[in-house]
Amino acid sequence: MIKIAHIERSVATADPDAVPAAAAQTLGPSIAAAAEETDVRWRPSRHARRLLTLAGAGLLLALVTRRPELAGLAAPALLILGAGRVTHGALPGRLGFRTGLTSTRIYEGEPAAVDVVVSVPASAGTGTGGAASADGFDARWVFEPGRGVEPGSATAANGHAVRFTFSIDRWGKRKLGTATVTLHDRWRLAEARVALTLPTIDCYPSPAIQRTEVVLSKLPNRLGEHRSRVPGDGTEFTGVREYVPGDRQRAINWPASTRLGRLQVNTFAAERSQDVVLLVDATSDVGEPGRSALDLGLRGAAGAAKAYLAGRDRVGVVAYQWGGAHWLAPSLGRRQFYRIVDALLQSDTGFARGAGISRLPRAALPPGALVVAFSPLLDGRFVEALRDMRERGFTLIVVDVLNVGPPRRRGFADNAARRIWNLEQQAIRFSLRELGVPVVAWDGVTALDLPLAPYTRRPLVTRR
Amino acid sequence: MSIPRDPNPSAIADVTAATRGAEAAARQGPLSWAGPRLAAVLLGAACVAWSAAPTRPGGWPAIALTIAIVAVTAGGLRLALADVPESEDSYLLSGWERTWRNFLALLRTVPWEELALLAVVWLEVLHPARPWYTAALGAGLTAYLLITHIAESGADPAVLLGRHAKVLALGACLLALGAGFAMIPAAGPGAGASLLRVLAALAVIAAAALVIPA
Repeated sequence: MIKIAHIERSVATADPDAVPAAAAQTLGPSIAAAAEETDVRWRPSRHARRLLTLAGAGLLLALVTRRPELAGLAAPALLILGAGRVTHGALPGRLGFRTGLTSTRIYEGEPAAVDVVVSVPASAGTGTGGAASADGFDARWVFEPGRGVEPGSATAANGHAVRFTFSIDRWGKRKLGTATVTLHDRWRLAEARVALTLPTIDCYPSPAIQRTEVVLSKLPNRLGEHRSRVPGDGTEFTGVREYVPGDRQRAINWPASTRLGRLQVNTFAAERSQDVVLLVDATSDVGEPGRSALDLGLRGAAGAAKAYLAGRDRVGVVAYQWGGAHWLAPSLGRRQFYRIVDALLQSDTGFARGAGISRLPRAALPPGALVVAFSPLLDGRFVEALRDMRERGFTLIVVDVLNVGPPRRRGFADNAARRIWNLEQQAIRFSLRELGVPVVAWDGVTALDLPLAPYTRRPLVTRR
Repeated sequence: MSIPRDPNPSAIADVTAATRGAEAAARQGPLSWAGPRLAAVLLGAACVAWSAAPTRPGGWPAIALTIAIVAVTAGGLRLALADVPESEDSYLLSGWERTWRNFLALLRTVPWEELALLAVVWLEVLHPARPWYTAALGAGLTAYLLITHIAESGADPAVLLGRHAKVLALGACLLALGAGFAMIPAAGPGAGASLLRVLAALAVIAAAALVIPA
């Protein structure tokens, strides 16, 4: 990893609404993202051209009109130009640029910062053959944010090492943009310009809040944290029964044994985990950007993944798109959460090749798994896929993320079309409920626990 | 759950964040943004007025004055609108948008300050010899160029002027010397004496440039 040297940095803070300087500093040190060395071409600055104009005009007119005071008028400009010429040879012909990010992965709306540093590499030569140093020039940086990147500080700052803060309002893989640095010699008579392409950053959908979980009534025989109906070695007390040889001595319930005159033992419920497959419908992205059906679907899926993984369940994801689906097999652990979100980010790509839901391998949809689908239910093929899965015995819950309808217009035909569309949507949801697939509506603002409350209070009965 | 950071991030040193941030915020307030721009316009206007007064009748002075006023005004507008971004889309623009885009391009393309300098110096030449007036104009024009550069580059004025202090002091001396040469009575009638004074002034300037510390 490239180490960014200990160099003082300045934080751009001209915008009063921006992240304050102290807050920008609390974003912490940056991770080196890119480093490059570039040849620099120094040219006369605009300031130098103006001074030259003044000096030239003064001298010429002094000679033509034979007025020595006009030569004096040119004197300050000539002196500054002369001083700049003397130091011009010490400017480096090659410079090193380093870029660092405080984080390569952020959530929507989370502030982050990019650090840009200019330095003189050890191998850099000068016009006079001497050693170049960073003290010989000033740098002014201008940050041009990429699409969807909101600057959190001023977009211009002076210094050899500069930090620009930013945030991203919508998930996706985002190009941060460019940072253009204008270098000036100490007299500001020579300047050079270099444009750096800033790295790409992954912006994760902000996970929805979900504290409770939907648990199946029939759980696979795998150790976990959900209370099962079968007796086992869990911590949840279920009853007392007569002792049989082989029972552990520590399970003997002494008060009950004394009362009944025979040895009695406590029984406990087994604790099991479940397989959860999150099914995200990326075929339709309707609604206002930032609150669209796909935005809500991804945020809901990320929140559900977080909740179920915290409950030691195995969680996988299937993203259903036009032309196919891509999937991630269920697994455990915190790392799986980031794998899931990375897989969800690919929903941005639109068309994806692959197999349909019906052709997904067994690993993607393990038997007996709980399938939580996030969908606006606008695509008939996706609804058919849900029906197909239900008929294959999967237990499904559909979180309806459709929050917009056709625009209201005055015309009779428009109204009729709107009513027909509404009836059709109701019919789709009704048909799913008839098949035993609960459909709950979620607005993307409240916690996911609220619409799922009827199903999180007691185990969801698995019916085949 | 927060996104895990790299376990071993490379460090850009934590500088004294609060103090540096506060300094930066204080320096980059609205006054510091507007101050140099306003100063540049005022200095430009003062230079034009100084070189134009007393106004002389005739075509050339009027033309030079008009050019100087237009150039200083346009230069000031360029500085004021320096932070206005140009729209990225160049197609399907409305008439107003296209006009505004062309106006910005005109402001940013033409070297207004150079035009203003030439016009002001020409105005000064059109007046009868006033050596001390010309020296003061030289000081004003140099200040105008420096403050314009500060306004457009965002350079710290204290740092920039600190670096230029010795050279500017020397330049001021030469300005005074140039005016002094002009005020020395000519040794005799004829054009040769005045030319000699000009050459003497140039020799002094060249000598000063040669002994400037690097």
